Amino acid sequence: MLYLSQVLGRPIRDLEGERVATVKDVIVRLGEDDHPPVAGIVARYRRRDFFVPRWRITELNEQGVRLNSDILDLRPFERREAEVLLARDVLDKQLIDVDGKRVVRVNDVQIIQAAAEWRVTGADVSLQGLWRRLAPTGFFGTRGTVEVIDWSDVGYLATDAATVQLKSSSDKLARLHPVEIARLAEALSYHHGSEVVESLDDEIAAETLEEMAVQQQARILGDMDEERAADILEWMSPDEAADVLGDLPEEKAEELLGLMEGEEQADVAELLPYADDTAGGLMTTEFVSLPHELTVGEALARLREMAETPNMIYYLYVVDGEDSWNLQGIIALRSLILADPDSPLAEVMRTEFQSAHVDDTASEVAHKIAEYNLLALPVVDEAGDILGIITVDDAMEILLPKDWRQRLPKLFG
Amino acid sequence: MAEHRAAVRSAGRRLLRRGALGVRHTVARRKRLMVYLAILGPGMITANAGNDAGGIATFASVGAEFGYRLLWILIPITISLGIVQEMCARMGAVTGKGLADLIRERFGVRPTAIVMLALLIANGGVTVSEFVGIAAATELFGLPRFFSVPLAAISVWWLVVKGSYQRVERVFLLMSLVFLAYVVSAFLAGPDWTAVGNGLVKPTFSFEQSFLFTFVAIVGTTISPYMQVYVQSSVVEKGVTAEDYPKTRTDVWVGTIFAIAIVFFIVVSTAATLHKYGIRIETAADAARALRPVAGRYAETLFAVGLFGASMLAAGVLPLATAYSISEALGFEKGVSRSFREAPIFLGTFTFLVAVGAAIAVIPGLPLIRVLLVTQVINGLLLPVVLFVVLRLVNDRELMGSYVNGPLYNIAAWLTVIVVTFLSLAYLAITIFPHLLTG
Repeated sequence: MLYLSQVLGRPIRDLEGERVATVKDVIVRLGEDDHPPVAGIVARYRRRDFFVPRWRITELNEQGVRLNSDILDLRPFERREAEVLLARDVLDKQLIDVDGKRVVRVNDVQIIQAAAEWRVTGADVSLQGLWRRLAPTGFFGTRGTVEVIDWSDVGYLATDAATVQLKSSSDKLARLHPVEIARLAEALSYHHGSEVVESLDDEIAAETLEEMAVQQQARILGDMDEERAADILEWMSPDEAADVLGDLPEEKAEELLGLMEGEEQADVAELLPYADDTAGGLMTTEFVSLPHELTVGEALARLREMAETPNMIYYLYVVDGEDSWNLQGIIALRSLILADPDSPLAEVMRTEFQSAHVDDTASEVAHKIAEYNLLALPVVDEAGDILGIITVDDAMEILLPKDWRQRLPKLFG
Repeated sequence: MAEHRAAVRSAGRRLLRRGALGVRHTVARRKRLMVYLAILGPGMITANAGNDAGGIATFASVGAEFGYRLLWILIPITISLGIVQEMCARMGAVTGKGLADLIRERFGVRPTAIVMLALLIANGGVTVSEFVGIAAATELFGLPRFFSVPLAAISVWWLVVKGSYQRVERVFLLMSLVFLAYVVSAFLAGPDWTAVGNGLVKPTFSFEQSFLFTFVAIVGTTISPYMQVYVQSSVVEKGVTAEDYPKTRTDVWVGTIFAIAIVFFIVVSTAATLHKYGIRIETAADAARALRPVAGRYAETLFAVGLFGASMLAAGVLPLATAYSISEALGFEKGVSRSFREAPIFLGTFTFLVAVGAAIAVIPGLPLIRVLLVTQVINGLLLPVVLFVVLRLVNDRELMGSYVNGPLYNIAAWLTVIVVTFLSLAYLAITIFPHLLTG
């Protein structure tokens, strides 16, 4: 086993054992492999950097590098696509450890020789690794535990070189819960946090963004390619999307809204006029409404047929006919399942229910949800038409003190 | 269903046409003002944290010993402090990373270790000075320090670890307002304004040891190494980006000018009250006399309150800044909102510094004012190490892009580094060599 710190600055010797240069960096090529192979070395001789390809190297160890010829190509080094320079891009940088769900700093890089290839197997993040580089050579004992993160668990490498992002990184990140991805992205600098979100596919990016503060969502989406931002906005719940748009500069918000697909655009546009400290600002337009003339069985069939069911289907809102939004009653999913399939909805529904008016203040509404132990509260206008619903998670955000909210995932998870 | 959707869509469009976006925007704008007020903070807090126990002791001594003669230093110091703070705040906004993070990523492990060691020594010293300040302040009230200092240490620890960060900052800011008493006192003492004006524009200088000592202490207490780290970390923690940066720049300069203005009045008030009668500052009670014009026989009380507030302010900020740097440099979890299990090194360093600072300050028979001055000199001596690194980083185009220093800015910044280094070395040489010569 070899550590990067043991190779850097060591001599490069040619066939005759003559010292021709020193090791400046080790290059690996990222590809399909979990443990990328060493592709070559950046050598330094008299303040010039040049490339030594893998096939010229016969030995790579603590003593340095041994070449298989005495001919050197002294053309200056240039980085190629998908190449990572271990000292420059990895050492001392931060990365996301998917297994441990945390952001760590790389103290050293582990290289193992296997089947005539040198491969990067892991990132040393222990104090031991730090000490190995800090102490003078030879001063270093082997005591202490070395904590190494397997390279296949590296979900994201926070480096400034744009071309080296791991291709498989977004798949690895996607294994995590959006709440976790959001927390990890926030632990990085804001540039890298944006990069993490951008690397995810639209749906997961949307869920991750929803777990972040609104200003941060706005910054990340505002800096993104407009088409991509609009795609992600479509995946977000309409109330969250409306909040983000409200936080962006006006022209930007209009542009993004314009790029969104019809249905999602309409949902968001509908929410935009409401100030965000009112019931209207808090509500989402994603809910299930059913005409009162359906039977229980038909209603259940309709739920199953829906291509995309809203997140909140515990309450079903019964309206006055197919073309109406006039709210008549509410049925909890539980009563719907337990009821006789042939009875009409009008018989099963509760006609006494709590509701909020669009202009009610957010805290009023939140208190009502808490008081009546509701999972959601319908929002109606003067005519009694349902406009949207407010779900309990949004109400919690209003009710809980700020630092409580930050601790929530830890309290409940 | 499809028809409903169409109906909703057209309703949405109608709302849009009626300027729906505008409604939400007035709200958003109101919110942005709040963001602005929230961002207005790091620079102000940091610059004024410089006016801590060590700061008051230093500036009161300057006024008492040299009268108005050293006032001119405040002009170059304002520029230097502002520039240094601004560079760090800018780095925080542009890169989104703390100073220690950047040092580690750009220079590697060994230089990081050197800078961190310098920082740890400087900050450890200043933390001691804060608790010494608390001791001096409470002793003016007749409260023994072995009682007040541990109590203060526990309160500071609790405020930072258990209280919410913003609430802590507001408490700190409020405490620092007590300094305004110096402004009133400076006017009421009836200083000779012509002499003040002369002192401000006519530089005097000498290579005597006491003069260099004072000079390095002034620099060390105003442009302390920890302030650079702290301002950058708070800019990052507040989520300031390159786009929001102009507001932060304003905050930094306003904070700097405000802080130095208070220094000016401290020097003027001590010069007008103490220097006139040839009183040197040996104890906190001497320094308190400068407040007699405003507070009469309550001068000691007022001084004690001010000193206490200032010391408490910095006693929290300083161990916090150190904990940030060390966690950043070694790559450990950081942030006051984390729990002990999540961020053991961060909270451990913070707790350790508070405990050690308090423990040293309760040592019986410690010459308080002298200890305060010496810790500021240590700061001044270690400052060039940090400044050098800051300048290398801020001019790194790969890191800062178009936000690197302009040429004029660089000249002023490098001049600061060179002058501070030269003075520190001169002071060290003069301090060491007489001893070597006399055996």
